[in-house]
Amino acid sequence: MSENLAIQLNKVSKEYSRNSMRIPVLQGLDLDVRQGEFLALMGPSGSGKTTLLNLIAGLDRSTSGDVNVDGLNLSQLSESQLTRWRADHIGFIFQMYNLIPVMTAQENVELPLLLQPVSRSERRKRATTALKIVGLDGREDHYPRQLSGGQEQRVAIARAIVTDPALIVADEPTGDLDRTSASEILDLLETLHRDLEKTIVMVTHDPQAASRASRLLRLDKGQLVGDETQAEAKFRLGAF
Amino acid sequence: MKYFSYIWRNMRRNRVRTVLTIGSIAISLFLMMIMLSFLSVNQNVSESLKGYNRVIAMSSQGFATPVPIRFVDEVALMPEVLAASPLSWYGGKYQEEVMPFAQFGIYPDKILQIWDELDMPDDQSKAFQADPSGCVIGYKMAAERNLKIGDPLPLKGTIYPFDLNLTVRGIYKCPPDRDGRMLMFNWNLLEEGLKKEFQGRQAGNAGTVFAKIKTGGDLAAFCKKVDASTINSDTPTRTQTEDAFVAQFAELWGDMRTMISAVGLAVVISLVFVSGNAMAMALRERTTEIAVLKAIGFTNGKILGMVLTESVLVALMGGIVGSLGCKLLFDVFDVSPYTAGALPFFFIPWQTAILGLGSSLIIGFVSGLFPAVAAARLGVIQGLRKVV
Ligand SMILES: Nc1ncnc2c1ncn2[C@@H]1O[C@H](COP(=O)(O)OP(=O)(O)O)[C@@H](O)[C@H]1O
Ligand SMILES: [Mg+2]
Repeated sequence: MSENLAIQLNKVSKEYSRNSMRIPVLQGLDLDVRQGEFLALMGPSGSGKTTLLNLIAGLDRSTSGDVNVDGLNLSQLSESQLTRWRADHIGFIFQMYNLIPVMTAQENVELPLLLQPVSRSERRKRATTALKIVGLDGREDHYPRQLSGGQEQRVAIARAIVTDPALIVADEPTGDLDRTSASEILDLLETLHRDLEKTIVMVTHDPQAASRASRLLRLDKGQLVGDETQAEAKFRLGAF
Repeated sequence: MKYFSYIWRNMRRNRVRTVLTIGSIAISLFLMMIMLSFLSVNQNVSESLKGYNRVIAMSSQGFATPVPIRFVDEVALMPEVLAASPLSWYGGKYQEEVMPFAQFGIYPDKILQIWDELDMPDDQSKAFQADPSGCVIGYKMAAERNLKIGDPLPLKGTIYPFDLNLTVRGIYKCPPDRDGRMLMFNWNLLEEGLKKEFQGRQAGNAGTVFAKIKTGGDLAAFCKKVDASTINSDTPTRTQTEDAFVAQFAELWGDMRTMISAVGLAVVISLVFVSGNAMAMALRERTTEIAVLKAIGFTNGKILGMVLTESVLVALMGGIVGSLGCKLLFDVFDVSPYTAGALPFFFIPWQTAILGLGSSLIIGFVSGLFPAVAAARLGVIQGLRKVV
């Protein structure tokens, strides 16, 4: 296992059982992702994108095969170890933002820091910085319902980066946004990738969103059917 | 506690539901406090009377049958006795109020020797003994009705066929667990009234006899002795210690006690369902949110703790309002003037209030347990999929 690999999948399979029927969702996936890559994961509905993302983020376990993140084999962790590991290593961005409605933007961003050995004033400071990065300084005391969808998603991004995780996973982060807001969110993700050198795995349906990534992965019926760098993709699509 | 603010806001999410839960717990516990205190107040008073060495003798037929006044004098002459007085219930109206407070015909020179926890200045005591139509009233009654020494105090007879025109000669103070609203006057007024207005019928009677025994006397033996002395007379007596006399009112409630306890338990159990249901609803609405918390690193134990804390806090607020509120209310607001003397004092004892508070904690914990475990066991993936 190479040192600079952020994610490494070895013959990863995932199946669900429903009414004693086994439903294979992911079948023997192999994948290497280097530190600092911005990965876009595309594919038709039901192809297993969310499932794959959940495995990488340590929310779910593979049926067989190893999921290594930052050199750690996740299948060897207990559930509570996995939970604590997520708190330290993963930033989550969801399609529906999933902010806590009864908390202000500032408090939402501070939330993951409650789990860290960080003083109250340090929490404040870090959350303020994170909100500044996503361009929401001045909105600290707004509740989610007082923000637009795009702003809510930016708060969610601030929440995802406030613990300074190495890996950020985003499941259709622009799926519920208009073009302009979506574009702003993608700008932000690009910045995180370029300036803060975060590894990002983003599931998306939107080719324009995918075009922001450095690498494009296609999933179909639980198998990887495409894996190309952005340059290759653009070349293939005749963008040059 | 850094999670407190989140827990607090969760409680305020659906304010109507939280207030209703708090309200139903508060109201039920409030009523439970009253029922339980009703029983225990009597018991407390009975306990506090032990050591005062007093006995009450009445007809073996019960209250309604009087004993002759000479019996008081016979008791007073017994060597064990320090002092004895009749205690004759007048039950008159005061300014059109029916039975507003206890009114007794007594021996003015004896009564404060017997009721030695009633405290009155010597000059007032002398003035009372000197005035045949004088009376003594409790400090609470004096304050409530703005009565001062020298004020006239007319009573209209309801049981007796004549009125009494009394003058306030003394105001006594007493400990909080004694009746501060009694009125006492010279028993002779009853006797003279009956002779003058009722051709002497019913005269020569003492209602009940109230006596204090000298220190070191054997109360039980004394009661037996008194009853033995009257067993062959026209009016056999039944003599009891004062605390036993008071306790028998609690015994009237004896069967009720079991029932009240059963009702109390049923109330606690139903409150568990009420608040458990509210908590379960609250959490169902937060399924996704809980999944998100777990995704970003909140362990099952933390979720369990937060839900339980919320549930306990809601119930505890109900407990504080219902139990402590009830205690405070009856500490500040005295209901006895509205009970026609049936309850000379009423208060919620601390142990009863603490019991209510404890019940609310248990209600909160038990009712929160199932929703909390369900929330802790919620699968992150399933919880997150609910929205996507
Ligand atoms: N908990 C589950 N139980 C059974 N089947 C599931 C479960 N979760 C997902 N699936 C199935 O797995 C397949 C892939 O789902 P998903 O990863 O969400 O796809 P995508 O995100 O690409 O739309 C779908 O057919 C879905 O029905
Ligand atoms: Mg999906």
